[in-house]
Parts: sequence; structure tokens; C-alpha cells
Amino acid sequence: NSRNLSTEEISIFWGKFLDYFVESVIFHIIPKPNKKAAGEIMLTTGAGSGLGRLLALKFVHFGAIVVLWDINQESLDETCRLAKEYGFSRVHAYICDCSKRHEICKVAEQVKKEVGDVTILINNARVLTGKLFLETSDDYVEKSFLVNTFPHIWTYKAFFPAMIAFNHGHLVCISSAAGLIGLNGLGDYCASKFASFGFAESIYFELRKLKKHGIQTTIVCPYFIKTGMFEGCSTKYPDVLPLLKPELVANKIVSAILEDQVYLITPKMAYIAPWLPVKKITTIFCLAGPKKNVGKTG
Amino acid sequence: MPSKMKAGKDLLIFAGKFMYSFWDTLFHYIVPRPKKNVAGEIVLITGSGSGIGRLLALRFAHLGAILVLWDINPEGNQETCELAKKAGTSRVYTYTCNCSDREDIYRVAAQVKKEVGDVTILINNAGVVTGKQFLEIPDECVEKSFDVNSKAHIWTYKAFLPAMITNNHGHLVCISSSAGLIGVSKLSDYCASKFAAIGFAESIFSELYAQGYTGIKSTIVCPFFIKTGMFEGCTTENPLLLPILEPDYVVNKIMNAILEEQVYLFMPRFLYFVLFLKSFLPTKVALVLCEYLKIFEVMNCFTGRVKKD
Repeated sequence: NSRNLSTEEISIFWGKFLDYFVESVIFHIIPKPNKKAAGEIMLTTGAGSGLGRLLALKFVHFGAIVVLWDINQESLDETCRLAKEYGFSRVHAYICDCSKRHEICKVAEQVKKEVGDVTILINNARVLTGKLFLETSDDYVEKSFLVNTFPHIWTYKAFFPAMIAFNHGHLVCISSAAGLIGLNGLGDYCASKFASFGFAESIYFELRKLKKHGIQTTIVCPYFIKTGMFEGCSTKYPDVLPLLKPELVANKIVSAILEDQVYLITPKMAYIAPWLPVKKITTIFCLAGPKKNVGKTG
Repeated sequence: MPSKMKAGKDLLIFAGKFMYSFWDTLFHYIVPRPKKNVAGEIVLITGSGSGIGRLLALRFAHLGAILVLWDINPEGNQETCELAKKAGTSRVYTYTCNCSDREDIYRVAAQVKKEVGDVTILINNAGVVTGKQFLEIPDECVEKSFDVNSKAHIWTYKAFLPAMITNNHGHLVCISSSAGLIGVSKLSDYCASKFAAIGFAESIFSELYAQGYTGIKSTIVCPFFIKTGMFEGCTTENPLLLPILEPDYVVNKIMNAILEEQVYLFMPRFLYFVLFLKSFLPTKVALVLCEYLKIFEVMNCFTGRVKKD
């Protein structure tokens, strides 16, 4: 089953390889042109707090129609209020418990009817228990998957068909550095975050195979962010691996979306995290894990 | 000043440990590590009724281990049992267990603890694959993928890890996949579940190490597609770099990894390089490479296991 490598194939390969390599170097120096978000229908889960709220506000600022999903009525109302302060009225808020598949389907249908086809889908809702593995109850383990992984799959199922039909859309997966490297004290969280990363990457490759180049993917892996979610955490070496400021991360995510960047790992030095020798060093020496874990829903 | 001195001291200790590990790894690249003796160890293998699970069971039987075989298929499991007894072990225990059901796992685990003893080598091998375009995958199949490929690992760890911790002795083996390292078209649910298995195993490895349980080892195995029928129909355009693997080759490597207490095992070796490239190559450049190696075409003709009625 060997291939005959024609000179044509090889030259096309090298041509493209060098072209894209040079392109990426250039775009490291001059910023890539941003695409327009005005008029796009952007949906974010976990919009009530932390990163979700910041992303929602940024997109409102760009003139997008924003759909907010959260399980908590008060936080949702607060985000709504802040969004409307910008003067744009096209903000739609829905209560949705992302751990329930049927609820996701039901609210998705509502959105499609009342707002339209979502073109920018940001899966951000997550939950963290942060206990040692044997102290984490089975229900919490199930919940980690139900909030951190499965909503990505069910929301894709709900909004994907329209994106495919129009060959237009953007799928954003907020995973985590804990989705690149298994960390001490975060067994179920890591499992669920790895899963969301793997799923988003698989879909990305599937879209490329289907030649649906109008649908972009962005997978975000931030190291621990200073939102309520990681209350009580500190890191062993705050200079090298600091807790990130939420505004900084939100800005980077928005830039990545508007520049059609596929992978976003912050801080930059965490890009080497999945490389095996680095993984071994960080897991063995527990350099990357947070010192104290007190989690809550985000 | 004291905090700076502490940071300096930490750095020196780290540098020392790093240099030791580095030279140790390099040395053992040339001189193979001694293989541990598993005679008398209680080895539990899920998905032992066929494929890699069966072959692993036979190898452990040959080494004198006590076998605990779990599979959803009692006939396949019984066949493995007979073969294992022929291979030289007298102590083989078979259980029918549905690894997608948490309660069933706990029920059978309790039986094992009572009838056999504390499992010391846990091999999570059972796996299911759907192999369809994302929108064609029924929701139940998505859930099943996670139940068998990810959550079963978590429940078995919950069942058997406490005893390993008490005795500070054990070995946790996670049979994941190359699809747990990099996404694959037509395997979205499978990839997600295999990624999760790796993340979990790695996290537990880190946790056990941090807590000082150096007697409990972990091995994470990521093979490319293997000729066991599970990925029937898959093709490769690069038999040199990414061959469809022979089961015997895979089992040899897994046995070595377990006996030498290796943490990560990727097959074929090219996968180590792929992971390295993935971590820094600009995305577009990496895609050009994937397209050239026709990596996106592997699942084109996938049929999976043909069910016999």
C-alpha cells in the first residue's frame, strides 16, 4: 500500500509549507486583519459571571447580537444590564441548565425561533470541584462531564446544521490548561476539559475534510484565571505561571476569534505543555498545579 | 530575603532532580530497565473477551499472575479464560460486567474483592467506537462512548485505588488511543472520550506522586489503529510512519511498558514526533503536513466490527 510520491505532490507540499510558515512569522509581527462581528449572532454559555460576562460585553461593543445563557438568574440579569448600558438593545438572555440535554435542546429551539441562527458559539460554562480524587463524590464526577463536556456536544448538535447549511460560523471552545496536562487534585476536571478539547479539535478536522472553510474554530486553553472559580488558589511560582487577569484573557480570546486563530494558549509559555518531556517534568515536580483548591461553579 | 533564599533553594533542588531524571532517562534509553516480577499479582483486565485484552491476559497468565477478566460478552471471556489456563495459570476468574454501567462496575468490583482479593494491576482496556460524522452520531452513542471509554476508568479507580493506596502498591494502566492525543475526523465522540481518559490518568498520576505514593505506578498507552477488527476498514497512506499496528507488536510493547514501569507509551514512535510538532508548529503549516501525509483520510472506509447475528 505504498504511495508513489510524484514530484508534483512534493513541490505542492513544500510550496504550501513554506508559504504558511512565512505567513505565520509575518503575522507574529504585524497583526492579522480582524473580521467583522457586527450583526453576527453570538451565543455564550455561562454568561452570568467571569469570562462569559466579559466576552458578552466585548461582542456587544462590536455590534453583535448577543444571546446569553446561564443557570443563575441574578448573574444573568446583571450581565444583561451591563450589556444594555452600551446602548444596544439586541441582547437576549435565557435561563438554561447546561447539565441537562433536553433543556439545551429546548432553549436552543427558542433561540432559533426568537433570535435566529447562532453564528458564533462560545462554550464557556464550567464547574470545578477541586478535591482530591477519592474525596470527589461520583455525582460531582458526573457533573464535571455534564457541565464541562456534554454541553459542547449538545450545543454543536443544535446550531451546527445551520452553520453547515450556510457554510458560515465560528465555534469557540473554552477549555483550559487543565485540558492539555493532567494536574494534581483535578482528576475529574482534567478529564472533562481534555474531552472538550479533543471534541473541538475533532470537529475542526471534520469540517476541514468536509471543506466547510466558512466555519472557523477556536480552542482556548487559559491557565487559571482570577475569577471566583479559582478562589483560594495560588500558584507555586507566580512569576512564571501567574493567575491570569480575566480582562487580559477575554481580550486575547476576542482577538483570536476575530483573527480566526485556531489554538489560543495563555500564557504563551504554556504552548509547550503538551510536549511529553515537559509534561513529565511538570507532573512529577507538580510545578503547574494550583496550591489550594476551593472551587465553585463558574 | 528569606523568601528569596527559599525560592533559590527550591530552584537548586529542582535543578538537581531534573538533572538526575534527565541522565536516568538517557541511561535507560540504552540500558533497558529491569522488568518487574508480576507472579502472584492480581491483574484485572476490562474488555478481556477479545483483541488486545485477550492477548494481555495470555501474557500475564504466562508470567504467573492471577487473572481477573471482565467483559460484557461471557462467551468471549470464557474463551480467553480457557486459553489463559492453557498458557500456564490456574487462577483465572471471569466476570460479566457492563462497563458502561457504574453500578454494575461497583457490584462486580465488590465481588472481586471478596472472591479474589485486592487488584494490584488495573488495566482499563474496554472501548467502543462509533465512527460516524458528528451529526449522524445518535446521542445515546455519544453517551456510551464516554461511559465505556472514560467513566469506566474513573469508577474502576474508585473501586480499586483505596487498597492500592493502603498498601502503597499497584499499577494503573490506561489503554487510550492516538485519537486521545489528536482529533480525528469521524471520531469526535471517540476522541473526546479518549482525551478524557488520558487527562484523568495523568491527573491521578500527578496526584499520587504529589501525595508520595511512589509504590503506585501509572502507564498511559496511546496506540494508533490496531488490526483487531475494532477499526476495520481504516487505511493508512503511510505504512512506514503510521502503520495499522499488528496486535502482537502492540501487546509486546504494552507488556514491556508495564514491566519496566514506563509512564507514556505511544505507538508507533512517530506519534512522539507528532505531539512535539503539534505543540509549536503554526496551525496552517501543521495542516499542510497532515494533508500531505493523508492523515485526514484514515477513517474514510471505516466499517468497524461486523456484528454476527
